[in-house]
Amino acid sequence: MSFLMVTRRDFLKYSAKLAAVLGFGASSIPRISEALITLSENPSVLWLQGQSCSGCSVSLLNTDDPGPAELLIRYISLQFHSTLSTATGETSIEIIHRTIDKGGYLLAVEGSIPSTMPEACLIGEEPLNELILKAVRSAKGIIAVGTCATFGGIPSAENNPTGAMGLSSFLKEKGITPPVIQIPGCPTHPDWIVGTLVHLLKFGMPELDTMGRPKLFFSKLIHDQCPRFPDYEREHFAKFFGDKGCFFKLGCVGTNTYADCTLRYWNSRINSCIPAGAPCIGCASDHFAKNSKFPFYRIGTDISTSSGH
Amino acid sequence: MGKSVVIDPITRIEGHLAIKVEVEQDRIVNAECRGEMFRGFEVFLRGRDPMDAQQITQRICGVCPISHGIASILAQDMAYQIRLPSNGRLVRNLIQGANFIQSHIIHFYHLSALDFIDIAAITKYTGQDPILLELKTWVEFQISSKMLYPAAPFLPRYESQYLDNVEINIQAIKHYLDALEMRKLAHKMAAIFCGKIPHAATLIPGGVSEHVNAQKIINYFEILKKLHVFIDTVYLPDVIAVAKAFPQYFKMGKGCNNFLAFGVFKESADSDITFLPGGVVMSSNYMAFNSSKITEDVRYSRYSSQSGSHPTQGETIADPHKTGAYSWLKAPRYDGQTMEVGPLARIIAAYVSGKSPLVTTTINQTISQLNIPFEDLVSVMGRHLVRALETKLIAEQCFKWLDQLVPDAPCVEPFTIPSSGEGVGLTEAPRGALGHWIEIADKKIKNYQCVVPTTWNCSPRDDKGNPGPVELALIGTSVSDIKNPIEAARVVRSFDPCIACAVH
Repeated sequence: MSFLMVTRRDFLKYSAKLAAVLGFGASSIPRISEALITLSENPSVLWLQGQSCSGCSVSLLNTDDPGPAELLIRYISLQFHSTLSTATGETSIEIIHRTIDKGGYLLAVEGSIPSTMPEACLIGEEPLNELILKAVRSAKGIIAVGTCATFGGIPSAENNPTGAMGLSSFLKEKGITPPVIQIPGCPTHPDWIVGTLVHLLKFGMPELDTMGRPKLFFSKLIHDQCPRFPDYEREHFAKFFGDKGCFFKLGCVGTNTYADCTLRYWNSRINSCIPAGAPCIGCASDHFAKNSKFPFYRIGTDISTSSGH
Repeated sequence: MGKSVVIDPITRIEGHLAIKVEVEQDRIVNAECRGEMFRGFEVFLRGRDPMDAQQITQRICGVCPISHGIASILAQDMAYQIRLPSNGRLVRNLIQGANFIQSHIIHFYHLSALDFIDIAAITKYTGQDPILLELKTWVEFQISSKMLYPAAPFLPRYESQYLDNVEINIQAIKHYLDALEMRKLAHKMAAIFCGKIPHAATLIPGGVSEHVNAQKIINYFEILKKLHVFIDTVYLPDVIAVAKAFPQYFKMGKGCNNFLAFGVFKESADSDITFLPGGVVMSSNYMAFNSSKITEDVRYSRYSSQSGSHPTQGETIADPHKTGAYSWLKAPRYDGQTMEVGPLARIIAAYVSGKSPLVTTTINQTISQLNIPFEDLVSVMGRHLVRALETKLIAEQCFKWLDQLVPDAPCVEPFTIPSSGEGVGLTEAPRGALGHWIEIADKKIKNYQCVVPTTWNCSPRDDKGNPGPVELALIGTSVSDIKNPIEAARVVRSFDPCIACAVH
């Protein structure tokens, strides 16, 4: 595999040494080698944060099976991540630049890019905008993590002062159009990132839709998979937050948001927005928060008569 | 003439922070905190529906979205004149409490501990714990490989003096891994009532949209039990072990010695009584907090807006090329003074005011156990210690709030958005005092201003040239090797900076 960093002979040599250290017999060597090959094939990942809140990184740490520790030692080799790296200051910048020079890594970008105000995001005194252009050139694969990096998200809301935009749009403006895997969500679900990464590493490029989103997670509307779909069919509409019934009349945009939250659930599958009594605000959608005239919620004037339940 | 050192980026905090220090004879004589990112939340919130605010402002920060959501709905509760039902108030406390626990655990283990513990000690591990064995194998293999940066993201690091006891190091590494699961559990616990986190669905004016039932109560209870055991038997002992190994850090990074807390976790719908009380402590004297004394200066910030305004009059006009400006953070001041916010400020406000016998007892026990004077808490190590103690107090209080929930009773009070109104939401994020100010006209947001914890702590100089708390804490700090200025990094991280919050 192209991500293989050492030869198979090196593995076997190392495994034999390890087996001896651990006191295993020779018969255990192939098994350990297999484990090590999986280990050593970990591709380098370079994680850069633009105009981000780190919410997608925090969400990634909520991953189950693999948990975050397993992800870091069994699946990827995280060369740099501003929130997790022990390296600080000058060494961080050296890691970023040497990783870029060597090439062959997966580039993960979290956060939007301030296209018209480069001073609005600096890393090591260099505008992120310039660093990104270098980083995409020698990357083996590019993943935009979260709605800010995919579609611009909240920082690109109407009247924003920085010209914030998603990675693909920014690159397109610069005349570069590399394939970018788009994993929206505000934040993005850890399963969506890990599932996409593992697909990429084990089986190659996942099937993507026309917006670059993995079909595995983003091919169906929230509405079509909603536990309250029968309420919609029966025109049983909730009058207020927390009410029983479909949230469509409260502004729910599950009808035009592609994601699988209502089936997958969040935070070790304990809950999700609609089951928790709140309409979908379309955080995985390409127009999330963009139009200031389109509020997240619609509450009428007659709600004071609602019981609230 | 001193040497200038720039630490950029400061990693293992949230966001884009650069620190510039001048070092003379191994001592920092000048420091600048530079926030290097800006999005303009206060700009694009204008003209939007007021109820967009609690969703949009949560996205200021993925580490403390709950506190932004709560500040926003408190401001709206006031503007819409809503009285919270008991369940709604308690569920908000339980969601916010869960995120405090999450944030404090991640701050100690995953952001700060690697400055003290020796991660390389794993190669000396001789036990049989499967995950530690795997980690050891992984580190050894990576080091023997031709990888550019083996064992990333854990290595490389500053060359410095780390904890030298192999056993304590290995236990701390195990706890680093355990803590990853514990902070995840704390998020799961929050999501029982907030739908999902980061960026909760259920926080709305009038209460919360989630309902209370026996299953949710028992789910929360069971996770809280696990977290409480972890805090009591792992987190606190680890912080104390690090404190004992690095006692000099009780004398380092003092800062401005002024403290501000808004108070957090409402204990009543009809009064401002909070579990952790608010207040102002200047020169060891407690004063009641008065929100009209807050102003934000911008002389050294990249804004052309009026300087020295109260948040109700505040503006955010970006000026990225402004001469003399060195940060995207404004410089908030209270009565013109530089103030530290955060767990230390909360605990000092509670202790000095005598308003929380629980805090007083806890602090007295701890300082007597460690045999340190009270004033040593105002330090790098004191911040870590107090943060851990606060985690314990909050976890224990969560049991009490859980007990007060009434299954199937209302969690939200219906409301209508008035055509005009004003509100202020004052609460605390894990890393300090947080305020949101909203002004509504024609049912739209006319003005929205946030004054955020790290804006206080990492603020640049104010109009009079007075440095911010982290800048002050850095000045005077000894740096033994300017190529590896770990002492400066330890000072900065003790404040738990969140730059996405601070710049917003």
